[in-house]
Amino acid sequence: MAELLSHVLIAYVLFTIASWRLEWLTKRWVAIGMIGALLPDLNRIGMFVDDATIETTLGVPFGVDALHTLGGVILLSGIGALVLTEAHRRAFSVLLAGALTHLITDGLKAYADAEAGAWLYPFTWYRHPTPNLYVSTDQSVLLVTGTLAVTVFLCDRYWSDQ
Amino acid sequence: MRLATRLGIALVLLLTLMGLGVHYGATYDENWPHPSGDQLQDNYDEFTDDHQLVSGEVQSISEDTMTIHVTDSANEVAAELEITHHDATDQVQPGGYVQVYGVLESDRTMTADELVVVNENETAQQYKLLTSIVGVLLAIAYFFHHWKLSLTKLGFEPRTTDQEDTHDG
Repeated sequence: MAELLSHVLIAYVLFTIASWRLEWLTKRWVAIGMIGALLPDLNRIGMFVDDATIETTLGVPFGVDALHTLGGVILLSGIGALVLTEAHRRAFSVLLAGALTHLITDGLKAYADAEAGAWLYPFTWYRHPTPNLYVSTDQSVLLVTGTLAVTVFLCDRYWSDQ
Repeated sequence: MRLATRLGIALVLLLTLMGLGVHYGATYDENWPHPSGDQLQDNYDEFTDDHQLVSGEVQSISEDTMTIHVTDSANEVAAELEITHHDATDQVQPGGYVQVYGVLESDRTMTADELVVVNENETAQQYKLLTSIVGVLLAIAYFFHHWKLSLTKLGFEPRTTDQEDTHDG
């Protein structure tokens, strides 16, 4: 994965640009999309409690990285949508779209065997070829996403003031 | 949607998510084409003389070889591997993290066909952690700028009552 700031900025850029064409996609939904971009990395709870500890507690095999897959983010988006008091279907769609921006971006990162992670689980374990564009600590990723985010922010303000 | 319905659906989704985690953990080893740390620890010889993808923290590095530690699901060291022909002397330091693709040998060495430096050192890992924290805080701050917690409805509702059509669920 890239660092989370880049993922959040990518979601901001894409949802804000989409909001220029979609009237219903207001800033409050851009915010939901940015939250969606965080969802796949909820597997980082593995930094605090490892799989072996969870397996011992539950008595069955367990993989917290399931959260960082298509199936995981569909379920997380569903749960997240229900945290809102209204517009649950729209919230689900926007959360899922935000999470997909994260997974697709991660699908472009470098693997030594040139195949991405199996993020399409549970629908398939297929690993698609990756262009090996970046590694997670690559600072140029943040430079690019930060520049894009500032540009989009300024354009959005300019057109809002017109 | 009534609160009880929301809670019921959320509970079902949460249980399904738990089930997904169990299924993922139970089927990962047979579907991931390369050995996990647990597999290397238990059945190392099963994976030798073939191309494998491994990743681990760099312990030492010299002109032509580096030693890495591959960890298991408990984050304990599962295997110590010596990587040869890595060509990454100037790219990574002890404490860094690499992915290596190459032929795993029975003497616990691997000739690197491809190597990706994920973290060049511990500072790179700290950079990733700190920027990620900033990302989480940014997203949460932006969210709370537009949404607020309603204790009466037990959920988040928009801060402003503009003309958005939100009656779709």
